[in-house]
Amino acid sequence: MTDIIIPNLGNEISEAEITEWLVETGDDVEQGDVVLLISTTKTSLEIEAPTSGKISQINSNEGDLVQVGEVVCTIE
Amino acid sequence: MKTMPKNIDIDPNKIFAKDFLKSTELPIHQYQKSIDDELKIHGKENLKEVLRHMYIVREFENMLNSFKTTGSYKNIDYTYNGPAHLSIGQEAAAVGAAFALKPEDKIFGSHRSHGEMIAKGLSAIKNLSRDKIKSIMQDYNGGKLISYVHKNLNDKEFNDAEMFLLSGVLAEIFMRELGFNKGMGGSMHAFFTPFGTFPNNAIVGGSSGIAVGAALHAHLNQEESICVANLGDGSTGCGLVWESMNFSSMGQYKNLWPEPYNKNPPMLFCFMNNFYAMGGQTLGETMSWDRLSRIATGVNSEQMHAETINGSDPLSVADAIIRKRKLLIEGNGPILLDIECYRYSGHSTTDTNAYRSRDEIKHWKFFDPIQQYSEKMIEAGIINKNDLNNMSEKVQNQIEYLTSKVVDRELTPSIDIEKNPTIIGDFTFNKKVISVSKITSDLLKNEGEVNKIKSLQKKSRFGKSEEGSLLSGMRAITLRDSLAEAIIYHLSRDKSLIAYGEECRDWGGAFGVYRGFSDIIPINRLFNSPISEAAIVSTAIGYAISGGRAIIELMYSDFIGRAGDEIFNQLAKWQAMSAGELNLPIVLRASIGSKYGAQHSQDWTSLLTHIPGLSIVYPATPYDAKGLMASSLCSNDPTVFFESQRLYDKVEIFTENGVPKNYYKVPFGKAVKRRSGKDITILTIGASLYAALDASMELINHNIDAEIIDARSLVPFDYEMLLNSVKLTGRLLIVSEAVERGSFANTIATNVSKFAFKNLRASPMIIGSPNWIAPGADMEKTYSPQSEDVLDLVFRDFFPEKRINKRGLRKDWDFLDLAKKGL
Repeated sequence: MTDIIIPNLGNEISEAEITEWLVETGDDVEQGDVVLLISTTKTSLEIEAPTSGKISQINSNEGDLVQVGEVVCTIE
Repeated sequence: MKTMPKNIDIDPNKIFAKDFLKSTELPIHQYQKSIDDELKIHGKENLKEVLRHMYIVREFENMLNSFKTTGSYKNIDYTYNGPAHLSIGQEAAAVGAAFALKPEDKIFGSHRSHGEMIAKGLSAIKNLSRDKIKSIMQDYNGGKLISYVHKNLNDKEFNDAEMFLLSGVLAEIFMRELGFNKGMGGSMHAFFTPFGTFPNNAIVGGSSGIAVGAALHAHLNQEESICVANLGDGSTGCGLVWESMNFSSMGQYKNLWPEPYNKNPPMLFCFMNNFYAMGGQTLGETMSWDRLSRIATGVNSEQMHAETINGSDPLSVADAIIRKRKLLIEGNGPILLDIECYRYSGHSTTDTNAYRSRDEIKHWKFFDPIQQYSEKMIEAGIINKNDLNNMSEKVQNQIEYLTSKVVDRELTPSIDIEKNPTIIGDFTFNKKVISVSKITSDLLKNEGEVNKIKSLQKKSRFGKSEEGSLLSGMRAITLRDSLAEAIIYHLSRDKSLIAYGEECRDWGGAFGVYRGFSDIIPINRLFNSPISEAAIVSTAIGYAISGGRAIIELMYSDFIGRAGDEIFNQLAKWQAMSAGELNLPIVLRASIGSKYGAQHSQDWTSLLTHIPGLSIVYPATPYDAKGLMASSLCSNDPTVFFESQRLYDKVEIFTENGVPKNYYKVPFGKAVKRRSGKDITILTIGASLYAALDASMELINHNIDAEIIDARSLVPFDYEMLLNSVKLTGRLLIVSEAVERGSFANTIATNVSKFAFKNLRASPMIIGSPNWIAPGADMEKTYSPQSEDVLDLVFRDFFPEKRINKRGLRKDWDFLDLAKKGL
């Protein structure tokens, strides 16, 4: 089981917004697939799957503000 | 899925395929029309006019040359102190080109452009209707110049419109009030826009980008006209010229811009190639090209449709311009013409011809354009010798008559500086302000459908929660957001406004102020520019003087150096050099960086405050950023808008209701009091506000009550608020992140010493960054003033009895010793 967490994007950034989910629960993903898009005050970012597997859980909705370090998705 | 903003994939398979780069032959002197052919095209009278125009240009410059070298011309004595960069010998190039151009075409020249602008004016007079000319002359300067002509140059022998043109130019050269720019431009800058002559430029190559900006304006307004930069061969060594050639042929016009804008701007680069850049010989010595037109092969696959043309034959030049003009109107610009010609006159009248042989000059005299063309006309039976002599004599009389009146200081005075000593200052700012339409137009989507705007609407307008804790930039409007609100408001409602700079479109500007704008603003009004800071500024100037408005971004203020001439000599000066004939509604955004070290973290506000002619603002809060941006975008004066990268994520904590959703303005020249106090005034410039505020909190613990004033606007600066404050506190500390030496803070301090001396208890002090390089991120706090540094200075210089034993790096610096060492 692998968690996708909001990465540390520098000292001043504590939160990010989920701009778009590109997967749904149950989808198969390959390592390197873009899973979600987030935006911070500074930038927009694509978050990739760190490993191949099946999306088992999505914890936040598009438009949600999430904290750096928060688990937003799990791959099994 | 994320929308792809554009679709020009770079395919490695194509990139790495074996191939040869192809270029085609460029024509050199391939003009072949006979005089009969030309006669059929233009008619006899027009061909005779070409000769007469060349005579006028030649005699006009002979007159200037004569004044400069002998102090008289045909018994008229006059000492002319200004410059005379003559082009005697190049008349066919100037007249041939002008002959083929339409009145609505715009030419931009160099410091050697008397001939070009006179020729273009004569051509416009020939082609415009009499009614149109009458209204142009009547409208200009309240009809003063045409009244002068009708009163003083009223010999019916001469056309009044020609006398209007020639007296406007000559009075300008002689720095008289009736000159086309009230004498504020002089010899190297004369122009008259109603006849299609635009600023000539004393900076070599300076016209190139300005002309491209004008071509962009013509293009975006679907005008059927072209823009011509008349440049010297020496300008092929100038960076701006290369930047401008590229800017006018960017791939995006045809690849990405929507119809009807998917064509290239109608831009013609005319190199008046006389082979000398002052005394350096371009051909064979200072440049690498064998033929000037070769440089076009480096610009685009069309090789700029370049040709080398015989500039000693006006019909060869006209033929080329007619053909190229058609291509340009069809959207196939830019075009390069290498017009080979020769000046017999020196670079200036002090030229001793040390760099060329007398034999060379003698050889070229066989190719004298007037001589050759006269012979051709006689041979073809278009004119006989007698008529030719009469024509020449009449032109000489015309110039003599004109000159006799214009040199007369009683009849034709300069502006009265004795009577009004600050009158030149009055030309610096026009202070005109536009009002913005309430209705949106020219958008890709409705405002309400745009994600960017929707996301801003979700955010809190104030930067603190109800409990008083600071909100993150994801939850409250930041300075970046507030800039975006003001800019998108204008872009959505003012079709004449365009925005560009490096990565402005898809990236949204390097710091994301425009992020999401590409969803709503068409690419022809918000686009990525090449990394060409000089061309970014220069094209904006051309766009603005043609009637548009521009907001341009330089990413880091450190890159101001890359656009030095364009900001210092062009943006700041054309309003005054044209005596207000030109307006430059341009907002130049420049961010003050952080973390990247010496070449990316400098506060260069003081470099620009040193240059007269620019409004300069530097907001420190989201409320001010939005309001000052609105004022800047409404101003018809050029404005430099400084933004601190450290402040982009700041939320609004000063204005209780936060950043208003609605549109509002913060006026130029008004500072704001951030904290009231009675013991010391601390004036902050830009981002220093926050260090000073922190310091003021600590000062309270030592019973020092500081008043904090945030400058907001540097030019003009709110001296009234500052002086009133200093009158109460008797002490002034100015905090700025600019390096201390030569800083604008010193100017303010000096003025306060002067104007509030009797109220001061101590000398005003300033604290800036030290006079060495900005170090990288981890050492940055040792460089720009921190709250500890502010405290140190307050205690050390104003309240030594309260001095405490701790604090910042500057505590024990020997500032005098550092100054002696040049630090």
